[in-house]
Amino acid sequence: MFNLKKKSLVYLISVVLLLLFISGLVPALRDPLLNISEYPLKFLSLIKNELSGMVFYHRNFIQNERMKKEADLLKQKINNLREAALENARLKNILRFKQKSSYKVIAAAVIGRSPDSWSSMIIIDKGSSSGIRPGMAVITYLGLAGRVIETTGSVSKIMLINDPDFGVSAVVQRSRQEGLVSGTLGNYLIMRYLPKDADIKVSDLIVTSGLTGKYIKGLLIGIVVEIGDEFSGLSRYCLIKPAVSLSNIEEALIVVP
Amino acid sequence: MKKCFFLLLILTAVFLEVSILNSFRIFNVKPSLLLILVVIASLSFELRWALFFCILAGALKDIFCVNIFCWNALMFALLCFLISKLSREITVDNYLVSIILVFFVVFLSDIIVRLAFAYSGKYIPLGIFLRTAFFESLYTMLVAPLVFKVVKPEFYLSPFA
Repeated sequence: MFNLKKKSLVYLISVVLLLLFISGLVPALRDPLLNISEYPLKFLSLIKNELSGMVFYHRNFIQNERMKKEADLLKQKINNLREAALENARLKNILRFKQKSSYKVIAAAVIGRSPDSWSSMIIIDKGSSSGIRPGMAVITYLGLAGRVIETTGSVSKIMLINDPDFGVSAVVQRSRQEGLVSGTLGNYLIMRYLPKDADIKVSDLIVTSGLTGKYIKGLLIGIVVEIGDEFSGLSRYCLIKPAVSLSNIEEALIVVP
Repeated sequence: MKKCFFLLLILTAVFLEVSILNSFRIFNVKPSLLLILVVIASLSFELRWALFFCILAGALKDIFCVNIFCWNALMFALLCFLISKLSREITVDNYLVSIILVFFVVFLSDIIVRLAFAYSGKYIPLGIFLRTAFFESLYTMLVAPLVFKVVKPEFYLSPFA
């Protein structure tokens, strides 16, 4: 009886010890074992997926086609919403500017652009029936954009400030130095007829002088990026980066005097 | 039929130049579809019909331009006349030669524009002019094969259709 009990006790202790040993060993082995099993499991999963792909090929194909269509539709919707949001932001800016400005303005959308590379012009969807007349200044909420050169009943042509035919009397905002700003067809405008001792620096703001009466005084034209001497050596010029992004202008405000 | 088709092409080209082509500007220039059509018309039709199409194309372009005078109509007519004369002197009824001819026609038209600007006192820096003229000519030349493809080869290569 005692022998049997002793034997059982030895078994029991052995089992407990084995369990204790294993329980201590398992956490230590878990990470390496899991790491080793990763690749066979991936391989098996791949085989399983491939097999189910083959078996359910037709169903998956149909699902794929449907999801592709849905994705296209959603992409289109996202794009439309993004366009609407951007338009909303632009119109908000224009509305805010309209409410702030003391002069009367007419808002119009750009519907066309110059057909050649030698002029800078846009076509807007408002004309003489909306009160637009040739010579009126065109602005955006960022600054001066151009002037109206031609109107019909429902559309108008606007010459942008980077057209070589464009000219506006302007002053340096800081020093009140006067000059004539004209377009160059490039990305910059040129301010010419500055005296040799003109008080002008890079990063100065250029605004309309209001001398001709066509343009309201103080409209932002752009910022000085380069100053140089004229070829004749008699005067200086400066290059101005326009405040308005002329290549992607989509809405414009026509100032009614 | 060919004449009606060509008329339709001119109208399409004008509207494309005013609208969609502005989204394809590279270095601030876009291809001149109308000048490609001027070359095709000059090589394909009798002189009087070619002149008619070129003047029409120029006049349509003038409608959308800032010029008061029908500048483009006059220039297109002049180019048409020159190309017609040239096609009688040398053989230009060849695909590659036609494309190279487009480059030179666009460049020539740009030089004429530059001279007119200088005469009227407009100031364009020489660097901007050369860059614009070169890239416009090159871009138009590269687009020309597409237009030639639309206007079937037998159409533009057959003299006096």
